[in-house]
Amino acid sequence: MDDYISAEGLRKVYTMGMVEVRAINGVSFSIRKGDFVGITGSSGSGKSTLLHMLGLLDPPSEGTIAIDGTDVIPLSEAEKGVFRLSRFGFIFQDYALVPELTAEENVSLVAMARGDNADSYARRARELLSRVGLGDRTTHLPSELSGGEQQRVAIARALINKPEILFADEPCANLDSTNSRAVLDLFREINRTMNLTVIMVSHESWHIEYCDRVVRLHDGKIEEDFRPEKRDLTITP
Amino acid sequence: MFNDLKVSAFLAARSIQRGGRGRNAMYIVIIALVLTNMIFLPSVIMGAMDVYYEQTIDYISSDVIIKPPEDVRYIDDVETLLATVNRVPGVVRASARYPMAGSIDFEDKTVAMEIDAFNPRDETEVTKFHKHITEGDFLGSGDRDQILVGSLVAGNKDDIGEFYASLGGATVGDVVTVRYANSVVREYRIKGIINTKSYQADYMVFVTKDEMDAVTGTGGAQATEVLIKTVTNEDAPLVKKRILQFGVGEDVRTWEEALPDVVSESIESFAIINMISVFGGLVIAVVLIFIMTTIKTFNNRKQIGILKAIGLKKGIIINSYVMQVIFICLIGTVLGSLLLGMMVLYFTTFPIEFPDGNVTPIVTWSMIIENTALLFISSAVAGFIPAWRVVNEGILEAIRGG
Repeated sequence: MDDYISAEGLRKVYTMGMVEVRAINGVSFSIRKGDFVGITGSSGSGKSTLLHMLGLLDPPSEGTIAIDGTDVIPLSEAEKGVFRLSRFGFIFQDYALVPELTAEENVSLVAMARGDNADSYARRARELLSRVGLGDRTTHLPSELSGGEQQRVAIARALINKPEILFADEPCANLDSTNSRAVLDLFREINRTMNLTVIMVSHESWHIEYCDRVVRLHDGKIEEDFRPEKRDLTITP
Repeated sequence: MFNDLKVSAFLAARSIQRGGRGRNAMYIVIIALVLTNMIFLPSVIMGAMDVYYEQTIDYISSDVIIKPPEDVRYIDDVETLLATVNRVPGVVRASARYPMAGSIDFEDKTVAMEIDAFNPRDETEVTKFHKHITEGDFLGSGDRDQILVGSLVAGNKDDIGEFYASLGGATVGDVVTVRYANSVVREYRIKGIINTKSYQADYMVFVTKDEMDAVTGTGGAQATEVLIKTVTNEDAPLVKKRILQFGVGEDVRTWEEALPDVVSESIESFAIINMISVFGGLVIAVVLIFIMTTIKTFNNRKQIGILKAIGLKKGIIINSYVMQVIFICLIGTVLGSLLLGMMVLYFTTFPIEFPDGNVTPIVTWSMIIENTALLFISSAVAGFIPAWRVVNEGILEAIRGG
């Protein structure tokens, strides 16, 4: 299978006062289409920095990134914006839903921004909300939803534009284990049924059981890159 | 582009509809009061100026005034001039004024002033003195031993607070002694008291032209000005042009041209006060909107960062904040206009009493449009700047800093 995402010699150097911090220090790897990749490591190992670079949110200091054959580093900010809008889905630790929009409106927003047909994105938003188990809460505002429910709305929002890659940065950090498991089950299901490439950052060791592949970072370098032993994950209905 | 604006409008509408209604209502009320403040003071000043202009036309200069050429004291052959002017299309009537310096004695009071004379029949068609006789009657054509006295000249028994020297409460029927500059002394019975509320007009006294002829003696009274009333809604500059075309060689001026320099200076001073008032109002609006948007955008930094991360264009986010500001301004100006309308209605029914007359605020469409446009533009800029600053922050900085 061809490489879908390919990173070569990635470095990210931050200057904090007089000190130079090498957050990512020469990382090269590739990801196949449809993989569920977990990026783990201790705090400060550079896992979020790597995800931000792959998600075109933060340019590397050195190195190249190619996604589906496109060298994305030379793209302008506006082009990166379009790339993210049309090909990526993002889920963050903070759900950051627009508080004045209902669940359905929050999900529809990115499709609306892309200029999709109103009827089509409204229908798709409702479908996605049903899929993440919130079919009966489409008209609820974020303040009327629990943390787990808000994260599920954020997942539906990330999927509305039918992305090719889903980036998730500590998606379960604010959730209890039950809600975390529900969210991860959902990721797994999406990954399997939609053939979506998922790149998830997590520091929880038990999360790796959901991944096809795990990249463990240490001090900005890949310490370990392995395929965890598969076990049968039952999707929570 | 249109789709981006649609998304911005959607975000703005939902934010207004569901986010902090009480806070938005407060902003709307403040904008309404700012607009009211920006327009009301100028409208009162404009009303006061209008009263002054009206009084100038009604009592001092009429619509057009003829004076002797420069360096000449009197108008030559005023009878011929009156006959000529009265033939000019657009002229209702001309009335000549024949003044002579003098003093008026009543009991122990003496007032030094100019005694004016006119032809009562002409004057009633040109000025409105005859409509503002509060006691007694207006002068008649044959009156020789009677005088018309302005209320400020007649004065009060208790003269505390009077700005001008007065006769200390002379009333209709009282006899006053007038000593003219040519040494003629005459006694007149006060026939009427004028009260126009115009300082200038109420500090005048009048006798008939026939009486002034008798006082002057050989050659008769000499006119220093001719007041001309034009047909209603006739353009004064056009009538002036026609008068000049009829061969009148004197100094012909419209009422506006005849306004003393001090009035133009007052108008300029009022314009400066207006500007300061408008500027003050705008500063309040700008600061309010700036603070409002700054608080809102800084509170939403993380959300803005994530919206950018998921691909929303900066313009969509900035415009959504600017649109919220514009919406608040729109409702605020509608409310402000209603408030202003109510105030104007009230003060039209119960005018503000100024020393120079009752003032009704005058609000013109241009005032409303100009001030509303200023308010919209400055508010939009004040809303744009903080939104632009936050939106231009790096995505990760915004996400981490929120």
